[in-house]
Amino acid sequence: MSRFVRTRTEMEGRYEDVWALVDESDDTESWAPDAALSLVGRPVPRQDGAARAAGRARFTVDVRLAGMLHAAVLRSPVAHGRVRSLDLDAARAVPGVRAVIGPDSELSVTTRSPLLHREPGYAGAPVAVVAADTLEAAHAGVMALALDLEVLPHLVDIEEGLREQRFTTEPADDARGDAEVALAAAEVTIEFSLETPGQLQTALEPHAAVASWEGEHLTVWVSTQGMFAARDELARAFGLRKSDVRVLVEFVGGGFGAKQGAGFEALAAAELSRIAGRPVRLVNDRHGEQLDGGRRAASRQTVRLGASRDGTITAIDVDAVIGMGQGGWMPPVLIPARTLYRCADVRALTFPVKTNLRAQNAFRAPGVMEGTTAFEQAVDELALALDMDPLELRRRNHTDVDQVSGSPYSSNQLLACYDRAAELAGWAARDELREPQPDGLLRGMGCASQIWWGGGGPPSHATVRLDSEGHATVITGIQDIGTGTLTSAQIVAAEELGLPLAHVRALGGDTAPNIYGPIAGGSQTTPSVMPAVRSAAAKVRKTLLQLAGDVFEIAVGDLEVSDGRIRSRDGAIDVEVTEVTGKLGDATIDGSGSRGPNPGGFVVHTFGCQIAQVSVDAALGEVRVERVVAVHDVGRIVNPLTASSQVEGGVLQGVAFALTEELVVDPTTGIPVNAYLDDYKIPTIADTPEIVIDFPGIADENLPTTGTKGLGEPPIIPTAAAIANAFAHATGRRAAALPLTRDRVLEALA
Amino acid sequence: MEVILEVNGERHSVVSSGRRLLAVLRDDLELLGTKLACGEGACGACAVLVDGRPVNACLLLAEAAVGHQIVTIEGLSAGRARALQEAFVAEDALQCGYCTPGQIVSATALLERTPTPTRAQIHEAMAGNLCRCGAYPKIERAILRAAGSA
Repeated sequence: MSRFVRTRTEMEGRYEDVWALVDESDDTESWAPDAALSLVGRPVPRQDGAARAAGRARFTVDVRLAGMLHAAVLRSPVAHGRVRSLDLDAARAVPGVRAVIGPDSELSVTTRSPLLHREPGYAGAPVAVVAADTLEAAHAGVMALALDLEVLPHLVDIEEGLREQRFTTEPADDARGDAEVALAAAEVTIEFSLETPGQLQTALEPHAAVASWEGEHLTVWVSTQGMFAARDELARAFGLRKSDVRVLVEFVGGGFGAKQGAGFEALAAAELSRIAGRPVRLVNDRHGEQLDGGRRAASRQTVRLGASRDGTITAIDVDAVIGMGQGGWMPPVLIPARTLYRCADVRALTFPVKTNLRAQNAFRAPGVMEGTTAFEQAVDELALALDMDPLELRRRNHTDVDQVSGSPYSSNQLLACYDRAAELAGWAARDELREPQPDGLLRGMGCASQIWWGGGGPPSHATVRLDSEGHATVITGIQDIGTGTLTSAQIVAAEELGLPLAHVRALGGDTAPNIYGPIAGGSQTTPSVMPAVRSAAAKVRKTLLQLAGDVFEIAVGDLEVSDGRIRSRDGAIDVEVTEVTGKLGDATIDGSGSRGPNPGGFVVHTFGCQIAQVSVDAALGEVRVERVVAVHDVGRIVNPLTASSQVEGGVLQGVAFALTEELVVDPTTGIPVNAYLDDYKIPTIADTPEIVIDFPGIADENLPTTGTKGLGEPPIIPTAAAIANAFAHATGRRAAALPLTRDRVLEALA
Repeated sequence: MEVILEVNGERHSVVSSGRRLLAVLRDDLELLGTKLACGEGACGACAVLVDGRPVNACLLLAEAAVGHQIVTIEGLSAGRARALQEAFVAEDALQCGYCTPGQIVSATALLERTPTPTRAQIHEAMAGNLCRCGAYPKIERAILRAAGSA
């Protein structure tokens, strides 16, 4: 029987109390931490790997519909301006142009902020969109618009914004105890400041949408991490019922946080399609994507720590100035400072400065990654001041209680992560790296800790359907943006059903079945969806065995199913599943499952530790990351193959944040100067260090039925801090800003 | 201008005038495995084989490909390419999969001229193929596996 329960949900640290629909008859018991599972926990290649490797995976940019138009966007060439003139009629007169919209056009779409900007507040802001028979004609239409702008003053320097008190929202003051008094009383104090760069998500498939109307029914393919959010956004914007909007996301070419909901692209494509009466495709070009796809906000952070001589941290006083751009949700930059270690006297001040850049948005572990990068360097400075091993200092200040709420963590294997990472990295011998090296390079090793949410929660649903041939389909609300979560759903369902993997396929990426799943963000897909999948599969298994009991005239309790065979405990019956399902004809066995709430009284987090080894060429200022050891506690691991891929990807984005990635903005014009792929430096295969990965892999017994947590964000969080700490270990210096480009390194070493 | 292009062993008559090979492949021939990601030769997502060498199709004018044998990911399903595709799946050398066709194309060209590459040779040959998901450690392993040296 279905019941409503009142429960608390979490998304990247934002908590909300909601009603969740749960199934009271669901008696699925949690897998014991030491349960003997046949598929879960073993490496499984992706169910859709072959399609990806053969070039058959269909991304939004590959969607081709009959009569489809192509859209081109006119973007603001200045950081701040006001449209003086824009000739929409001239654009409409261009051969092949079918629809043109500008800031003054009457639109059927309703959005909270204007879809198109009359007074653009950043370079790259969309001013007008043209749809035409070909992309070339659309570009000609954009040229014909002959945009004339009055250039207005801009502000891109966050210190200037702070001086002028230009904030997007009120600054946040989060305090407990009295950090000022505690700092004054501390036996040892340190202060550390760091500037962190703006970082562009740079998914290789840009934001893209293809929209098509049939009467009042709207179908949109969109490269998004959140198809249900996109559906709801489109329904709201066009005044449609949700059931009249279908969103499809078969394959997504990366998101990393930037692709939330419908976005400008889907809204504009749907509007143009409505006007033109034909399907419209809108795909950002690379420059548009780098200007307007999103960004991890640049920050300037200062950390003051106080401790007693024995290494007990007694005071934490931090502030962060964040370059928000035009706005957006305030990233939780100071959460690591507020939660990573036990401390009663903490003050955290956050200043969200409004600048003339695009609104910052989520990029893998938004806020927490850049916050960790500063805070964990400060912790190493404290270790230095105390003459204490940095890992020992971290162990000494470990806590099993969430420092903000006072509630215990549902599970926390951080101490085990320290031990394992130290063992794998050869931490005990790290000072030997500082002895003169045959190649003349300086070497060092540094560590950093990781904290993130990632516990998932309701609502999340799944339906499993078993057919007469003994094959099961798992219908989920997953959009697999490359993480392998659909394959995890396949594994969990096959485990519970007792079917071979090859007989189970998980589906997602389509809102039409209306089986809800969360946005692919915040490390919540695995912990949210897998229990729902397991619950749905358990119901199908139960029904299958009941039907087998009917067929073989035997008590259900004496039957079990595994490896695709139904067996009786006495061994008398041992048959293929199809001996039973074959009698279904065209009927199917269906089961639906939902994600139950997280238990009250706990706070659910993920933890980890990374240790980096770097070499530094003091003459050239070149830093190379030679090795990263990454040990993360994310509960039970469903698929170690794709889990290790997540870690490698996160580490590499962290390496690049430390060494090469930086959005450079010309202060005189306010225009980003490296919003292209050739001079915005994401890592290549040649920049890849050896990455050594391990997981404690211990199921969180307080989480429902699978004991799994999310893994998308954790691996990016401590990498840059560990690298900067290794740099300091190697050189005895710290750079005042990241990334560690050659000029910054040479300056730090001078 | 109409020209004849030989793609995956088949001859196609296409309008080339000033167009990039990538646009012709994707828009005219509907060979959608070859991807556009940067349009400026910086990422390798659009890599195709031209007479066996990997070339960024976003930079090559279609006219310049006349008289040369072009092979796209759709034309790669045998021999070393097939071994690479299987190794990429087995090693999980792909995440979102958007760059994967270009990676396979470049890796095929590498193995054709260097059947058992070293790690350094792999890094040099593959450095022009960006993967934002960061599948690089497994791409390296997949290439070594396909080369029979892993």
